[in-house]
Amino acid sequence: METSGSMDSLGSKRSSSRQASVDSLSSSTSTSRSDRSAQTKPPSAMSSDSVSTSAELSPELKVRPKAQIKIPNECKEEPQLLPGETVVDIAKEVMYICPFRGPLRGTVNVTNYRLFFRCMDQEPVFVLDLPLGVVSRVEKIGGASSRGDVSYGLVCKDMRNLRFAHKQSEDALKKSIFEVLMKYAFPVSNGLPIFAFEYGQVFPENGWKVYDAIAEYKRQGIPNESWRVTKANDHYELCDTYPSSLAVPVNIPDEDIRRVAAFRAKGRIPVLSWIHPESQATVTRCSQPMVGVNGKRSKEDEKYLQAIMDANAQSHKLFIFDARPSVNAAANKMKGGGYESEDAYQNAELVFLDIHNIHVMRESLRKLKEVVYPNIEEPHWLSNLESTHWLEHIKLIMAGALRIADKVESGKTSVVVHCSDGWDRTAQLTSLSMLMLDGFYRTTRGFQVLLEKEWLSFGHRFQLRIGHGDKNHTDADRSPVFVQFIDCVWQMTRQFPAAFEFNENFLVTVLDHLYSGLFGTFLCNSEQQRVKEELPKRSMSLWSFINSQLEDFSNPLYVNYSNHVLFPVVSLRHLELWVGYYVRWNPRMRPQEPVHQRYKELLARRAELQRRVEELQREVTNRSASSSSERAGSPTRSITPVQTFV
Amino acid sequence: MFTVRPLKPTFKSYLPPLQTDVKKSPHPPVKKLEATLLPGEIVVNEVNFVRKCIGAEKSHDDLWGKLICTNFKVSFVTHEALAQPRFQVSNRLLGEHDIPLACVDQVVTVNDAKGKKKVLGSNQKLKFNPSELVLYCKDFRIVRFSFDEAGPEGAKKVCLAIAHYSRPADPQLLFGFELIGTRYLDSTEDGLNGARPAGGSQTPLFACSSDWDREIKRTGAAEWRVCSVNQGYGVSPSLPEFFVVPASLADQDLRQYAEAFSGQRLPVWCWNHPNGSALTRMADITDPHQQKRLDQRICNAVIKSHPQRGDVHKADLDKNLPSIQEVHSSLVRLRHICVIDPFAETEEKWLSSVESSQWLDYVRTFLKHSCDVVYILEGLNASVILQEEEGRDLSCVVASLVQIMADPHFRSLSGFQSLVQKEWVMAGYRFLDRCNHLKKSDKEESPLFLLFLDCVWQLMNQYPSAFEFTETYLALLSDSMWVPVFSTFLFNGPKHHADTMHDFLEDKKITLGEGEELCLPPVWDWSQQLSVTDQALFNNPIYVGKAAPYAHNGAVKSFRRTKHKTWSSTLRGAPPFQTGWSSTLRGTPPALARNGLQGSPGTLPRRNSLAAQLKSDLFPVRDVPESPSERFARDWFSGPADPQGLLLPQLLPSHLALWRLYFLRWVPEAVIPRGGPVTAVHAVSQLAHEIETLQGRLRRYKGPPPGTPPPAEPSRVFFKAGSLSEPSPPPEFLSSSFPFSPVGNLCRPNLRGTPISKLLNGAKTWLSTETLAGETA
Repeated sequence: METSGSMDSLGSKRSSSRQASVDSLSSSTSTSRSDRSAQTKPPSAMSSDSVSTSAELSPELKVRPKAQIKIPNECKEEPQLLPGETVVDIAKEVMYICPFRGPLRGTVNVTNYRLFFRCMDQEPVFVLDLPLGVVSRVEKIGGASSRGDVSYGLVCKDMRNLRFAHKQSEDALKKSIFEVLMKYAFPVSNGLPIFAFEYGQVFPENGWKVYDAIAEYKRQGIPNESWRVTKANDHYELCDTYPSSLAVPVNIPDEDIRRVAAFRAKGRIPVLSWIHPESQATVTRCSQPMVGVNGKRSKEDEKYLQAIMDANAQSHKLFIFDARPSVNAAANKMKGGGYESEDAYQNAELVFLDIHNIHVMRESLRKLKEVVYPNIEEPHWLSNLESTHWLEHIKLIMAGALRIADKVESGKTSVVVHCSDGWDRTAQLTSLSMLMLDGFYRTTRGFQVLLEKEWLSFGHRFQLRIGHGDKNHTDADRSPVFVQFIDCVWQMTRQFPAAFEFNENFLVTVLDHLYSGLFGTFLCNSEQQRVKEELPKRSMSLWSFINSQLEDFSNPLYVNYSNHVLFPVVSLRHLELWVGYYVRWNPRMRPQEPVHQRYKELLARRAELQRRVEELQREVTNRSASSSSERAGSPTRSITPVQTFV
Repeated sequence: MFTVRPLKPTFKSYLPPLQTDVKKSPHPPVKKLEATLLPGEIVVNEVNFVRKCIGAEKSHDDLWGKLICTNFKVSFVTHEALAQPRFQVSNRLLGEHDIPLACVDQVVTVNDAKGKKKVLGSNQKLKFNPSELVLYCKDFRIVRFSFDEAGPEGAKKVCLAIAHYSRPADPQLLFGFELIGTRYLDSTEDGLNGARPAGGSQTPLFACSSDWDREIKRTGAAEWRVCSVNQGYGVSPSLPEFFVVPASLADQDLRQYAEAFSGQRLPVWCWNHPNGSALTRMADITDPHQQKRLDQRICNAVIKSHPQRGDVHKADLDKNLPSIQEVHSSLVRLRHICVIDPFAETEEKWLSSVESSQWLDYVRTFLKHSCDVVYILEGLNASVILQEEEGRDLSCVVASLVQIMADPHFRSLSGFQSLVQKEWVMAGYRFLDRCNHLKKSDKEESPLFLLFLDCVWQLMNQYPSAFEFTETYLALLSDSMWVPVFSTFLFNGPKHHADTMHDFLEDKKITLGEGEELCLPPVWDWSQQLSVTDQALFNNPIYVGKAAPYAHNGAVKSFRRTKHKTWSSTLRGAPPFQTGWSSTLRGTPPALARNGLQGSPGTLPRRNSLAAQLKSDLFPVRDVPESPSERFARDWFSGPADPQGLLLPQLLPSHLALWRLYFLRWVPEAVIPRGGPVTAVHAVSQLAHEIETLQGRLRRYKGPPPGTPPPAEPSRVFFKAGSLSEPSPPPEFLSSSFPFSPVGNLCRPNLRGTPISKLLNGAKTWLSTETLAGETA
């Protein structure tokens, strides 16, 4: 690398218009502040040391409260700290080995929330700002060399790997900053609190109030003559991974429900997720029945499903969608699970959706990371992408959701959805099909309700799947199930660019904070645990942050499809890799010129014109009023005859 | 047109149709079915009681009517309406079910009973009575007709006529000539005697020296002049009569040099960068003895024409780019996977199939090469000579792409049209051969123009507000190639055009009066094909440019002249650029690497020992050194793009996409109902229309300007706003195929959207034992 000789000196010539510095989350330049803010976003939404678009993707930058913006110290080496954030270690002369620019020498700060690297040799100054929550593992690479250098690799959950090196300390007892970092990157393993519990920011909105189960049932018209809300799980005694309020068929008493719970894995009985406002066809979710090798049956369970079917007068059939491939479903019989036999469940039709389990998905994303980071291999990009099967998995999930939506909407038939435990694939399928069926969930708040309901309250095990603050990176329970779901949502926004109230930035932000550990939203595995941990009291909700600055997350093209059901085309011809998320660390990647930006300009133009039209209108009205009163006196005044549009 | 066609008011049975009802009995038509004919169009053969297949599996949606072959088109006329409304943009020259003969690629006749199939050529015999006719069209459509109720002889005759007339033996037999001949002879005093000027279009055709003069002035190319040595095509048979050369070369020199160039194609000027560097194109020098000397002279002349005497670089396109045959076979493969192979079967291997067609690879190669040229012009402040054997194929693509990237003028509608005129039509691109209108030689056929449009689409896709026109415009322009009445796409160059015209007039014994001229119209007068309302489909509502009437805050932006000036100074001292480029003044061109990645050692990143030592497989560090042009691009990408400035395409393979509107528009399974990018256009258009309305009101308040009453300008937006401030959802007829419709094309079930069952063909591919273990563990 011709250090700061070639590209950087060239780059600096245009530094005033720099947008994204290579793979940093943010970068700062020495140009004047007003200059930069004019080019990117209003200063209110900007962090003090960031001008980059990719900084928008950085979780913590955006949460900087407006009041906190200080006059930045240009030579500052420390990050601007969040309320509750403290620096725990600083190391100078650390080398960040950037896969795109080569090694960069700078200073590392580690706080209880982030790693902050700043290289002063470069112009513009290179900054790497990484929430520790995204770190999946830290490893020391290679033995100590003759020169006494040590090197550390950080494997991240957000599709990148970072590498640092520094001189071996003379003092054998002094820990490397990366050993220190490990303690704070994995607080749960080290008996420390996750940063979300220390984060002291106050927001004007309270995101914990976004979702209220009873209110959402009410919005759907529940309770009604066929469905009631039961208290059977008030203290999570029926099922500890379900929410406390459940909607069940009216004519099934609570004692029967308990018997059904005994027959369903983890007690996850079929409960209502969504009801069609006209046909009353429903989407219900549950876990697999405990059929086992002997083909056990449960009269109560059979009666229960019959009740779900009877609750919809439009159809005399019930579709059971088992998300798994049939082989896997059958294999589950070995450990007591299985699927509904058509003999036992009259009028029910069982369909397997062929979606693979969490292990396959984890492996697929791992392969995808290899293909996209750090560089994209040019000649075989598409076949490499194909070999990860990622888009094929996306397709199968979307196809499953589409079949569910189609049955409910076009077939007016109720459906039951389950996989093994009913908290991974089932959550993907029910929430996606509800997104297709109900325009409410396509609004920003509606989408938050959807996540709170189908994912959080119904016990998708975020803690286990993400491994917040846990150093055990090989844990087989980790899986990108939720990432996959958000990817599916993004695919839908691509096919229907005007049907969603939120934008791509919203989806990326949700995923960033899935890992960041800044908010309490995605902590814990179930509603019961969240109540126990008092999350709403002890941490901030992601929705507090987002709903306090909705402007940044809204899609200006949004038009209400007036409850039109969206049927996406689930063919690889229309599915794309979400480059704005998976390839965003590549410095050659720049967000495409957003139509949104132009649209906002047009909106401003319209507002301006409206203002001027109204002004003229007033003027004309006034003038014509005065002219009519003075008509006799001033015959020469000529007013262009204008129609008034009031 | 785009309004919902009301369903046929017939009695609708809610019982499923009986199986025996498959052949709906053909009712005797109340009114006689007649083809709508253009002047000069004659019916060659026709057959009644033909069924046009709408769905492959069920036939009750099929239409009954008459199949007619004229000297212009294959026409299907019917009294019936499609059961499912469709929203096909209507062409003034063609009816709803018509296909121009020039668009027919293959005529396939089938006899079901005998299990026979034959691809028909010209003047061939057909030994069986066809029960079915399938037309494979050049615009990717596939249309099927069934003859089970038609007279066998009549059906056979029509099939043979279609096969024969879709392969005219001579360009004069292309329908356009018949049309203008008839119009001329029929014309009396109505002034519309076929000999009309370039119509309402203001597109410069570059057939006269004044168009070139204006272009020289516009780009500030002071040291260049229009020369007329080729008037009457005395020097080169494929160059235009007027072209632009370095001012330092005299006509005498040019005449002398011409002989040494392939096709006597002298170096000609294309465009000047505001910094003075010029883009030129020329053919290979065929005479080896003269090569060095001539090369030197040409280069000196080009350098002399550079205000700062900037260096000149030569780009050998034949060595760096795929051949026209490779591009052709790539499109054949792509077409197979897009429309011919069954949808569900291609699904599983879709990505690798697209990759193996290499189409996107070629798109990328052309864009990349054009970027490199832009870098030399802009970054190195040096002139570029595009060199190609004849300089009539690959150079057309590269020369036009360079100008589109570097000059916002060519991103306006009229600028783009003038570019096609300048770098394709007048530069001697063999449209006749490359389109294979005469179906003479498949070897000469190549979809370079479509490839160019696809490259433009990629830019448009990445910079949606930089172009005045839409992708619909590009698709319709491409489709116009197959309507053989426009001079634009029918000839192998301006001389060929003139000669053919001359022969035609002689054969028809037409003597033109004083000042009269008879010519085929160029495609640019769009009212020949589309209504004014439909032409609004061309306008991009979010275009940021001079022509945009709305949302352009005040001042007209002028072309940024010196935005990247810093480059030249930085790189002046750099070693010669060696990635497929040669600076002729420094010797002969080196062998060119396809990827152009062997940069000079000076640009190799020198890593210190620590970094080198730390290289590991886990954290691969970029090994391939960046070329200066890549660095130039990277630097450019680090700033915000100005839609009215230089545009460089993002070339990461993950950023190039398949042009879905073009390639998938006829595939019913791929249609997203009420979705697709057009729904975003729809939303923006409504807003743009509101702005138009408000501006109109403002004008009315201010009163008419003194003198002239304000002209009632037609709205530039296609989608109108309903009520103010309340954007309406996309109408039913919008889809990802809009304004085209796959209904009635392709022999496929006419399902809306994807048949879901077909998409779930199991998860057999990646099921491993590990998977199962994971599931049960």
